[in-house]
Amino acid sequence: MPGTVGIIANPASGKDIRRLVAHASVFNNYEKVSIVRRAMVGLAAAGVERVLYMPDTFHICTKAAAELDLPFVLEPVADTLRADALDTVRAATAIEAAGAAAILSLGGDGTNRAIAKGARNVPLVALSTGTNNVFPTMIEGTVAGLAAGAIAAGAADPAVVAPRCKWIELAVDGIGRDVALIDAVVMADGFVASRAIWRIDRVREVVLTRAIPDAVGMASLGGFVGPVSPEDDWGLHLTLGQGGPCVTAPIAPGLFRPVPIAAVRRLEFGARVAVAGPALFALDGEREFTIRDGEEASLYVTRLGPPVVDAHRCLTAAQEVGFLRSDITAAVQSG
Amino acid sequence: MDLSNDKLIEMFTRMTRIREFDERAGHLTEEAKVVGSVHLYVGEEASGVGVCATLNDDDYITSTHRGHGHLLAKGGDMRKMFAELYAKSTGYCHGKGGSMHMSDLDLGILGANGILGAGAPIAAGAGFACKHRARGQVTVCFFGDGAASEGAVHEAMNLAATWKLPVIFVCENNLYGEFMAYSSQHAIDDVSDIAQGYGMPGVAVDGQDVLAVYEAAFEAVGRARRGDGPSFIETKTYRYYDHVGRDYGVVPRPEEEVNYWKSRDPIDIFRATLIERDVLSDASADAITQSVRDEVEAAIKFAEESPEPEVSALLEDVYTEVTA
Repeated sequence: MPGTVGIIANPASGKDIRRLVAHASVFNNYEKVSIVRRAMVGLAAAGVERVLYMPDTFHICTKAAAELDLPFVLEPVADTLRADALDTVRAATAIEAAGAAAILSLGGDGTNRAIAKGARNVPLVALSTGTNNVFPTMIEGTVAGLAAGAIAAGAADPAVVAPRCKWIELAVDGIGRDVALIDAVVMADGFVASRAIWRIDRVREVVLTRAIPDAVGMASLGGFVGPVSPEDDWGLHLTLGQGGPCVTAPIAPGLFRPVPIAAVRRLEFGARVAVAGPALFALDGEREFTIRDGEEASLYVTRLGPPVVDAHRCLTAAQEVGFLRSDITAAVQSG
Repeated sequence: MDLSNDKLIEMFTRMTRIREFDERAGHLTEEAKVVGSVHLYVGEEASGVGVCATLNDDDYITSTHRGHGHLLAKGGDMRKMFAELYAKSTGYCHGKGGSMHMSDLDLGILGANGILGAGAPIAAGAGFACKHRARGQVTVCFFGDGAASEGAVHEAMNLAATWKLPVIFVCENNLYGEFMAYSSQHAIDDVSDIAQGYGMPGVAVDGQDVLAVYEAAFEAVGRARRGDGPSFIETKTYRYYDHVGRDYGVVPRPEEEVNYWKSRDPIDIFRATLIERDVLSDASADAITQSVRDEVEAAIKFAEESPEPEVSALLEDVYTEVTA
């Protein structure tokens, strides 16, 4: 439906073990309510007619809307909560199926990965509320709402302001298994357990869609040996170990570790990194699954990820067509 | 996370001991063989075992009314526990305390506690002792989501944070305080959010995954031993049975919710992980379960055959002996 936007706010982001093992910030859910409230005001200002949202245990979106007199219809998209990442995947799928023009997300790299798995074709306005995020950006909720609203209102062309992002596809024994938006990390055999990565000595290989020195986490590690921008049509493959440079990188917020890098390789689209089991894979900062001895995984970078809205380009394009502007004479007369 | 196969199997065995102990304790209460009420820990085994697996015998824990699991996770003697439930003289409290007062000072178990949140000030005190002895000991304070709104818990957290005491506050959020849903009692989703207000790190972990709990506890205990002060861990878990006893359906919980949590049974999850990693086979896992069941039946037999306390023992254990 024209004028429809989805909101997915992850109530669990910003609370994992990195508060213990590093110096990660705490992002409580009242702050997320506040951000969504401002985003909703932005959506309303843009003339959005309908907002679909993922229900959650904290009721972020309904709390955000409670103090507002909103001009749009606000509807939940799912009826069953599992309180895990599958809620996000399902909500994204439902929002895409309902024909939303954009999805506004609050979370970290992991949240956006779950959204990408559920909805690969809806432009994504990704607001950072996670731990060490590379994919979402720190933008004001009002602006994020306005950008999503501009897409929904037709004031900005997603083909221009929301290019598809890169992602990493991971197959096990030739069968597609998962994706990552920023990094896929191969660790020595271990357990998924608390999911986060901070024991760098267990990391064997890293595949990156972007490698930027002004980031935290694996993207930073790559950023100091071979920068790769989101726009570059290739990725980066690091093999950790002796024989090359040693980078002292911020692998988590406030946590630096020396990381010896044995090899750095530019990874062209479609070029495969083969990994023999046993191994443990972490995707976008979260340990996810293992492969056993005898199994083989392959990873490769493509530009088949979801379209990601560049808020600056989006609103610049929107202003060029008169978005939010009314006739000055009429405005003065009515005022 | 470096855990030997022996350690992993020990953790699995302890979880199984808790499960089998409490299942039988629930039935024995219904048969009127156990005296008094029991608050069963079934479904929450990963929390107690994941935390206690990071502790030494000379570290302390304080427990709750739902304390059987904590005692067994710290290495408590099942025979003394059943004997206590049977109110026999061979029990932990010589048959005079029952389910909610069992303690084992040799193992650092400072006692279950029938008063909501009352373990927290004790934990702060034990933490104070740990700090001043300077032997690297730590104290773990187990409490539930219901106790998280008790003043005593907040006072203890404030004191522990102010004095940088080696205390780990472990809130086992099983989503219900007695019969009332968590969301009806708290304005926040994650109890661990309150830690920030006291200046200590707080994390929420999957309480059904013993390795996730272990990892968080390992880091928190390490902080405490290094003198970096207290931490707060919230284990997201679920109790399978009613607040008291087994499933009497006093206040029914949504069937979908119960089924979801039972589909994430902590013992099933850990068993599958250990089998996948070739640490256990189906046969060896079954053998452990059977061995634990045999141990439980032997402990019950011990309790049944133990003598009642003498009347003359009634006033013993009220005051400690004071030595000059």
